[in-house]
Formats: sequence, C-alpha cells, structure tokens
Amino acid sequence: MTAILQALASGLALGAIYGLIALGFNITYATTKTFNFGQGAFLVPGSLVGVSLLLLAAGKPHWGNLAPSEMTLLSYGLATLASVAIVGAIGIVLYYCAIKPFVGAGGLNWVLSTIGFGIILQNAALAVWGPASIAVPSPLGNEVWRIAGAGIRPQEVLIAAVAISVMVGLDIVIRKTRFGKALRAVAFNPQAAAIVGINVEKIVIIAFVISSSLAGLAGMLIAPITTASVFIGLGVALKAFSAAIVGGLTNPRGCMLGGFLLGLIEALVGLWRAEMREITIFLLIIIVLVLRPGGLLGARSVEKI
Amino acid sequence: MGLAHGLSLALIAAALALLPTLPLNDFHLQILFTIGVNYLAAAGLNVLVGYAGQKSLGHAGLFAVGAYTAAIASVEWGISPWASLLLACGFGAVFGLVIALPSVRVSGPSLAMVTIGFGIVVEKIVTEWTDIFKGQAGLYGISAPSIGGRSFTNLHWVWFVGLLCILTHLMLRSLLRGRYGRAFLAVQMAEPAAQSVGISVSRYKTLAFVVSAVTCALAGAVVAQQNQYFNSDFITFNLSIFFLVVVIFGGSGSIYGPLLGSVVLTLLDAWLARWPALQHFSYGALLLFSLYLMPNGLAGALAALFRGRPKIFDRSQADAGVSVLAARPSAGDGSALLVVADLHKAYGGIVPVNHVGFTIGAGKVHALIGPNGAGKTTLLNLLSGHVAPDGGSIRFLGQELAGQPAHRVASLGIARTFQNLKLFGDLSALDNVLLGAHRHVGASFPAALLGLPASRRAEAQARADALALLADLGLGERAFEPARSLPYGLQRRLEIARALASRPKLLLLDEPAAGLNPQETHELGDVIKRIQAAGVTVLLIEHHMDLVMGISQHVLVLDYGALIAEGAPDAIRKDPRVIAAYLGADDDAATVAESVA
Repeated sequence: MTAILQALASGLALGAIYGLIALGFNITYATTKTFNFGQGAFLVPGSLVGVSLLLLAAGKPHWGNLAPSEMTLLSYGLATLASVAIVGAIGIVLYYCAIKPFVGAGGLNWVLSTIGFGIILQNAALAVWGPASIAVPSPLGNEVWRIAGAGIRPQEVLIAAVAISVMVGLDIVIRKTRFGKALRAVAFNPQAAAIVGINVEKIVIIAFVISSSLAGLAGMLIAPITTASVFIGLGVALKAFSAAIVGGLTNPRGCMLGGFLLGLIEALVGLWRAEMREITIFLLIIIVLVLRPGGLLGARSVEKI
Repeated sequence: MGLAHGLSLALIAAALALLPTLPLNDFHLQILFTIGVNYLAAAGLNVLVGYAGQKSLGHAGLFAVGAYTAAIASVEWGISPWASLLLACGFGAVFGLVIALPSVRVSGPSLAMVTIGFGIVVEKIVTEWTDIFKGQAGLYGISAPSIGGRSFTNLHWVWFVGLLCILTHLMLRSLLRGRYGRAFLAVQMAEPAAQSVGISVSRYKTLAFVVSAVTCALAGAVVAQQNQYFNSDFITFNLSIFFLVVVIFGGSGSIYGPLLGSVVLTLLDAWLARWPALQHFSYGALLLFSLYLMPNGLAGALAALFRGRPKIFDRSQADAGVSVLAARPSAGDGSALLVVADLHKAYGGIVPVNHVGFTIGAGKVHALIGPNGAGKTTLLNLLSGHVAPDGGSIRFLGQELAGQPAHRVASLGIARTFQNLKLFGDLSALDNVLLGAHRHVGASFPAALLGLPASRRAEAQARADALALLADLGLGERAFEPARSLPYGLQRRLEIARALASRPKLLLLDEPAAGLNPQETHELGDVIKRIQAAGVTVLLIEHHMDLVMGISQHVLVLDYGALIAEGAPDAIRKDPRVIAAYLGADDDAATVAESVA
C-alpha cells in the first residue's frame, strides 16, 4: 500500500513535468501547426544554467557539485527565474531559425529543422558543461518526508506545486485575458486574426517563448531528481510529446491530463516491472490513438468537401 | 530520360566492377557498404514519405525486424543465409502490415506518435527480452552468404549490396512511374479526390508501409550478416531519425533523392568522424539550414539546375487512343439507374438531408437545385460515399451503396467533381486524367514492380486514351502542365475530364459552372450535352438557371434538406413551392417566375 502511495506521488510529480512540457507543445501547435521536436534539448540549459548560477553565487566555478547548504528556496527560485528567462530567449532564436522559414509550407521540413536546432543546442551545452552529470540538491532538503507511512521526496511536492500553479495560471491566461483571446484567435484562423488587427507574428513568438520557458522550467524542476546533465532531455521530452498527443494536442487541458496519466501509469507499471514501463506506455498510446485519432480530449478534424 | 538513366546505371556498374583496381582499404569499402545499406533503407522509406505522404519516425524498428530475423534464423534455427535474407524481407512485410494497421487510421502528429511508439516498443523488446534477443550482449556468429563455399570479402559485400541497390532502384522506379506511383501521390495530395477515382486510401498507405518495411528490413538483415554480430544498441530513436533525414535531405518524392542523401550523409559522417564534437554540430546545422536553402532536398535543388525541356503535346500522341467521349451507345432508356429512398443525414440539430427519395433515370441529365444551404452538396457527398448516411438506402443498378466507402462507390461506376476543386495540383493534367482512369489501367503489383511488358503496354494505352480525352475537351495543349498552373475555367474542365476517365455510368457534378464567365458556362453546357451523348447519366448541382433549364431533362429541388419538387424544367419553373423557396412566400407569382427563369 505504501509502495503504491509512493508510486502515486512520484507519478504525479513526473506527470506534472510531462504536462508542463506538453502544454508548451500545445501552445505552439495551436498557433502555427508546428512545435519544437527538439524540445528535449531545451531542458538542458534549463537545468544547467540555473545550477551554474547557483554555483557561481556560491563562489565556485560554473561546473561542479552543489552542496545542499549552498542553496535556499529563494536562491533556487531566483536561479529558476533566470534560467527560464534565458531558455525563453532561446525560444525566439528557435522561432527565427527553425520555424519561420518553414511555417505553412507543409511537409516535414520543420520537424527536421527543430531537431537540428536541438542538436546544436545540446552540443553547445556539451561544449560548456561536458558530459558528466551534476548532482543537484532539492531546495526543500533531501530528507524523505513520511506521509501515511509512504516516503515522499520533498522535491516531488515542490514539482507538483509549481507545475500545477503554472498550469492553472496559464489556463486562466488563455481563457480570460486579452492576450489569451488573441492567442485563441490566431490558433483558430491567423488570416482573420490579422484582419482584426492582431499582430500574429508577435503572438506566435510569445507562444514559442512560453513553450521554451516551460521546457526550461521543467529542466530546473526535475534536476534534483534526475541530476542535471546534457543527456536528460530526450527521454523526458519524448514522454511529454506522447502526453500531448494522447491527451489531445489541440486541447491545453488534454495535454495536462495526458501528462498526469502518463506519469501515473509509468510509476505504477514501474512498481510491477520496471523494464515494462516504456513498452506498456507506448502500446497504450497506440491503442488510444487508433480509437481516438485526435487524442482523449482533442478535436476530431473533419475535412470539408 | 531513358537513355540517360541506362547510361548512369552502366556507369555505376562499371565503377563497382573497377573497385578492385582502386587503392581502397577496408575502411573505404566499409563506407561504400554503408552507403548501400542506407540507400536500401531510404529508398523504401521514400515511397512512404515522398510518394504516399506519410511519415515514420520508427523505421529503426523495421531495421531491427530484418536484422534480428537474419540473426536468429542463422544462429538459432540454422537456416541458410540466403534463405534468411528472404525470410527477413518476409518478416519485414508482415511488420510493415502491423505498423500500417494503426498508422492508416491517424494523421499528422498522431501518426508521428504511432510510428515513434512502434520504434520504441521494438527497441525495448530487443533490449529487455534477453532470452530471445540477447539484449546488449548481442547475437554472435551470424553466418553470411557465400557463393560456391567462398565467403564474402569486404569487396564482395560492396558488390552484393550494390547489386541489391540497383535491383531495388529498378523495381521502385518501375513501380513509381506507373499507376502505383500516381496513386501514392494522389493519396498524398488530396484524399477525397483519390477516393473519387476509386483509389482505396488505406490500402495504398498500407502498401507504402509494406514496401518501406521490406527494404528497411533487408538493410537490417544485410548489416547483421556482414557484421556477423548484432545487438540492441543498433536500434535507437536516432536511427529512425537518420533514415528520415536521408530521405528528406536527399529530396523526398524524387527517385534519386535517397541515393543523393545516403551518399552525401554517409560520406560526411565518415569524414567528420575524426572530430566528434564537430560531427554533431555539423549534423545539426545541416538539418537546420539545408532545408532552408533546398526546401526539396538535394534532388530538388539539382533538378532546378538541370531542368529538362518541357514536353510538347503533339496530335499524333492522342490519335493512338480513344476518347471516352467518342462512345456512341444506344440512347439511354430512362430506366432507373439510381434509386434513393428515405435518405437521411443530420449533424446535431442541422438536417441537411431529411428523408429524401428520388430516382435517376439512365441516359438523362438531372439537375439538383435549391437555395444556398439547402443540403445539395451533402446529398451529393452521400451519393458518392464521401459522407455516410444516418439512414435510408441508395440503390445503384440493384446494389446498395449506403454506407459503402467512396472508393468502392467510384469503382461501381459513379464519378464526381468537387465544388471546391480538388485536383492533384502538382501533377500534370495528363496524370490527373490517368488517375481518373486508375482502375482501368490493367497492371498488377508484381507486373508493375518488375516492369513486365504487359504493364508497360497497359500504361501506354491508358496514356494514349487520356491524351485523346484531353484533346477532345480542348485541353490537349495543356496536357503536360501542372494542374494548378491552368486557368480556373480549365481546371474545372480538367476535373470533369478526370471524372470521365473513370468511365462512369453516373457522373455527379457539383456546381461545375461556379466561377465561370458566360462564355465558359456556355461551353460547359455543350460539354455536358456531349457527355450525355456518350451514354453517361449526369446529375449536376447548379445555380445558373439558364444552364440548368437549357440542358437538363429532370430537375430536383431541395430546400432545408427536403425534396420539395421534382419534374420537367418547365413545370419546375412555374412551381409555387420552388418560387417561394427561392424568393420567400407570398410574392406575386408571375414576376417571380420570370426572374427564376
């Protein structure tokens, strides 16, 4: 029982990470029908920049292991904000290099260009930080909390809390604000949005900044659990992509739902047989998509004849 | 083109034959071998990606199927290497079907997901199921083919793979130049239009998956045999991406794209291997910028440099064929060709077709009129099978059509055009018409793959017939131009030509005069009369009342999804219900009748 409770907690935390990144896929897909296939590489600077800032603040070189005493919740928060801002800025570069030339052209060129951008980003990180991983302590301490007998890592609680607040915040922004309305207008019909005076390119760039920032945030949040390294991105981003597709790439709430579902299934299957996690998840995804090609909450697309 | 192609092949064969005279070491031979293997995998994938317009990010899984079949067949089952190669292709085909099964049901990002999922499931199975696949430890001692007891040297391997590449190229070239290649492209460009000429979209997508699976499995099997060892580390998501990159960087949709892609990328990879950091950077930069400079890949960029002379239409090409319009059957007897009863379709609260029933008599021109939003196009979509009805029956020559898929309806002899043109825009006018004739081009898959004379003859005859039809409709001079470059009026006419090429018994025209000027509308009336004279029954939706009244013998009026009147044009013109539907009720009937006319 406690094992299940423990698995649920880590599944929720992992699912929150998937959901955050999946939400980023949703925002750019809605506005441009493209997304960053190389998103995994964006988690890398997300975690490494933040960790390096903390190391530099502690008077160490940018690469090394971080001691728990060198980090407070405040400094972790500030470092997170800084790395989110930097990764968001990289999102603008991504848009101009890899998206803008191909948007609306159909085909798979944007898939390859974003993968290419990710490879460059990852190798740039490799040149700066090297291949070894950096252990990162949690700002809430590494002491396991006992809740109803189950051991829960404080970082898991922090991840869930931050991710859920960001998701709720974004949901409100998309649904209630003027910006959200413009975003939805561009998603629905960019030409019509331009006619009523919405700066479509500005909205699209903001979408890519949000998407990249979310990946950066995910990288910083997950670092205390997976360690920070150049190679953490691909696996996590692939699951997040799966979450977005299964939940419904066109529906932000579907993406979040997909994230939590995937995280929970992964953790629970892991209790049974760890090596069956990926096989189970991807077989389930294929079955779901055969039954609902648009994902669980996605819209069914009908071509008008 | 034929001569240049033969010369290039001879040149490649000569280069392969002269390899022993060159100062090549094993490293060089290994690179040549790798080029060949990458070409094999990419050549099939190009059929899937470049022709059928599908995507796959999981072909490493199919590579694994081939490699592990060859390995296990040899190590565990003791099957001879030659037989294991065939077995690998067979298993490849089976797994191609397996991945096609879910893939043909989804599109866009969901398709990417399904193929990624397939690749990862295979990767995890071969990694974790160590009882059978030996995981990272791998399978040792895979026996390699030998001839006369002499096992292959590295040079022999290059020759062997070179031979496989040339055979694969010849077969795919033969396949793609005929009806199969056209059908793949049709599926990519406009699915509803492909269905309307009798092409089963899911069947052709499946076929493309199977073709790509077989060549990819063959590539995997050859690698396992040459290496005599195979483990799960070969099978990664990155390998799937690499195959896709070879196709797209080389130029998808061009028969030479995979060749260019595999040569350039393999060489680049080998050359940069000395500087691993640079290798990865340049790989990323290549992906990012090459498509910006060459949106259609290397093959596309080269084709733009060496643009051949445009083909010229000449009357004699058409003379060898017979236009569909030249048929002179005995006049239609007006017997019931199509009987619609109680047909119903609702979208939520909107009921575009509300329990409609009518009969279409053979040999006549029927018009379906009604105000905008009356449900005319939905009715047509129900008849052509593009939309499934909620209830009712459509009997065509005694066969029930309700609920049948569009390609099946088309193959029974009902052709259609679309209100919003759905031509295969990048294909020539001739290819559009040839696609119309798709199910009459008698070339079986094996015959087309092997380029047998029967298949070539069928293709030549279909081509001549198509040119004759185009000439007949005044489109002969435009036969070799891409459909999208034709003026709007001619595009409309080309769509009619494509529909006619399927030799339908019933032709459905959805607003054929929309957007035409008065002169073109007049010509359209003549074309429809000639279609009728050729024995084809016509049902047209139209708003131009003078056209409707001038050419049709029977008019059906639809309003709010219900059939409110039918009969001869003169009777319909005076029918008060029709007048009310068009202009609102309680108007002075006489003036109204005037304006409808």
